[in-house]
Amino acid sequence: MSRGQISIQDVVKVYDPEGAAVMAVDHCSLDIEAGEICMIVGPSGCGKTTLLNAIAGFHEITAGRILMDGEVLCSTERPKSEPGPDRIVVFQNGALFPWKSNLENVVFGPVMQGRLSRKQALAKGRAMMADAGLTGVEHNYPGEVSSGMRRRVEIVRALMNEPKVLLLDEPYRALDSLTKSVMHEALLEIYYKNKVTIFFITHDLEEAIFLGHRVAIMTTRPCKPKKVLNVDIPHPRDYAVLTSKRFRELIEETNDAVHEEALKAFQAGEKEG
Amino acid sequence: MGAADDVLAALRASTPFADARETLLARIAALGRPARFAGGARIYSAGDKADDIFVVLSGRVEHAFPAQVGARDPLKRLARGGVFGWAGLLLGQTRRLATVTASEPTEVLRIDTESLVALLESEPLEGGRVMERFAAMMQREFALPATLMHVRRLSGPLTEEMSTLGLTMYRLSLWAKSPRPYLMLIGFALFLGFWYFAVEVWKLPRFREMPGVTTVVKEWLSPSPTYGLSIYTEEYYQHIIVSVWRVTKAFFLATVLGVSFGLLLGWSRKFKEYVFPVFEMLRPIPILAWVPLAIVMFIATESAVVYLAFLASFFATALNTMLGVESIDESYIRAANCLGANRWQTFRHVIIPGSLPFIFTGLQISIGVSWFSLVAAEMVSGQYGLGYVINTSYVMVRYPTIVIGMVTLGVVGYVTSALVRIAGDWLMEWRVRELALQER
Repeated sequence: MSRGQISIQDVVKVYDPEGAAVMAVDHCSLDIEAGEICMIVGPSGCGKTTLLNAIAGFHEITAGRILMDGEVLCSTERPKSEPGPDRIVVFQNGALFPWKSNLENVVFGPVMQGRLSRKQALAKGRAMMADAGLTGVEHNYPGEVSSGMRRRVEIVRALMNEPKVLLLDEPYRALDSLTKSVMHEALLEIYYKNKVTIFFITHDLEEAIFLGHRVAIMTTRPCKPKKVLNVDIPHPRDYAVLTSKRFRELIEETNDAVHEEALKAFQAGEKEG
Repeated sequence: MGAADDVLAALRASTPFADARETLLARIAALGRPARFAGGARIYSAGDKADDIFVVLSGRVEHAFPAQVGARDPLKRLARGGVFGWAGLLLGQTRRLATVTASEPTEVLRIDTESLVALLESEPLEGGRVMERFAAMMQREFALPATLMHVRRLSGPLTEEMSTLGLTMYRLSLWAKSPRPYLMLIGFALFLGFWYFAVEVWKLPRFREMPGVTTVVKEWLSPSPTYGLSIYTEEYYQHIIVSVWRVTKAFFLATVLGVSFGLLLGWSRKFKEYVFPVFEMLRPIPILAWVPLAIVMFIATESAVVYLAFLASFFATALNTMLGVESIDESYIRAANCLGANRWQTFRHVIIPGSLPFIFTGLQISIGVSWFSLVAAEMVSGQYGLGYVINTSYVMVRYPTIVIGMVTLGVVGYVTSALVRIAGDWLMEWRVRELALQER
């Protein structure tokens, strides 16, 4: 069954603020297989979020097209796709509604879409939260639990809709490294249970290699894949991978490419400033 | 011997014992009994009797607070040198706060809490320092809200979730225990004292002509007031009721119309483009400038007065509501779209609750300006009301009555504004709880 196969074909995105055309994405092509974890690595501001926004349907593309399971999401003719529950974004700073309890957040999708009755949604929501180790915080507000827990609630909220693709935009950026490692294991655990395609943006190479089946290292502005790395460490993985020889080798193999792009981004930043 | 050294090294690696002297450390180590737990074994659960303190020697444990404790980081992993099971050190706390499980084969040192406390008490200087480090560790590493810890010191453990009322009472009790109410009383005393001395004792220039505090209080509390208005006269309450009723009508109308208008302004770009420039031109016109037109527009003075009080409120509420809508983080709206909410659902579940904090800021301002313009309007036209009292008392040279009217306005205004705040806390429980966790 092919669910959540994404094909990015020759996508171009030009921002045109006051006539000064800035090319954010330049003829970028990338295929993400159904059910894989694809990590997108690049320095901050390299244009990787632009790609995510195009898939999610928040922004238009200038040219090219993006397909999901063979259907056109957006193309030169129809530059913006409709956001929908088949492609759910987990945002950089978290977007749980602070005015709804964790459980109310979790059931939001199915209830709004009318896919489940409130009662069914609540039952499913409780079960899924319990599965993700979130028992006991159902009736707390997001502001009352730790940032690590909030991220887990947000992922559960996304999975409640049985999406084809999860789009994660540096979700662990603000977390300390200890919490981060706990969150990585938790994410993998959730992934092994749900097998959804994951499109994960990060600037942390270790995170990328630890989680991903494949890691796409992007060039900086304009953004396109510079190198695509197959991570041949078998899943399921746990934190012991971090100290394995193969993990270190893969880091060494890619570190230069990432560093080069970071340097370019830094110098470009200096020129602008 | 190697094992004993290892225990000492583990204690040395822990936060509370890190800089204790070697001799004290050895005595603490001597109190300890080593214990082993298999991976996955429960060491203790929340609610168990809190008897021992644990120090991790090897392995890893998972330390989890139930949500109602309100810890900022409910889940924590501890490795060698990690200290847990310190609940028994809290005053009035005899039960475990957290649940601790060994996540792999783990070795710990158990230290009986009472013996440890006795040992620390026998060395007051160093013992005190260790206790201080314990407190700092709980605050920092376990990120417990200090206020909740404090409550637990005073009363029993908090087992049930705090209701809004409970939270209000809790804040009230904290307030009563803090120096704030006494500072407030001193503030009032200074103010009244100055009034008394300036007018009646020193008879300072400019103050000489003012009604003195004793005159005003006497008149206010007199069963047969010289100028006809005191807490014993029916007329006094009639004026209050008329003013309150007018403000209620104006405020209610301004809230209903202002909030809907503001939501529309913030939500629809097109509507804003049509309407906002006109709105922004009308808004700065002082309310007193509207008086003549209001009287012409409404033949009945009653409606004119309410209209003027409404107008000022309306602008404040509408503007803040619009800013509230515009302040909502774009990612909430995007998240709602992702999750399949349509435009109306997004409006109902994201836009309205998301702008509530701003709306209530607006309502606080609105109730204030509503009183302001009401009194102005009552002074110009009208037959009852506190503004009318102040104005007629001035014309008829009843100076103490002016002050009675002013003080009454102050009190009534404060009460209405507090009611708005309470309504806000009730509607935004999520925010109250968040702020309480941040100790604000």
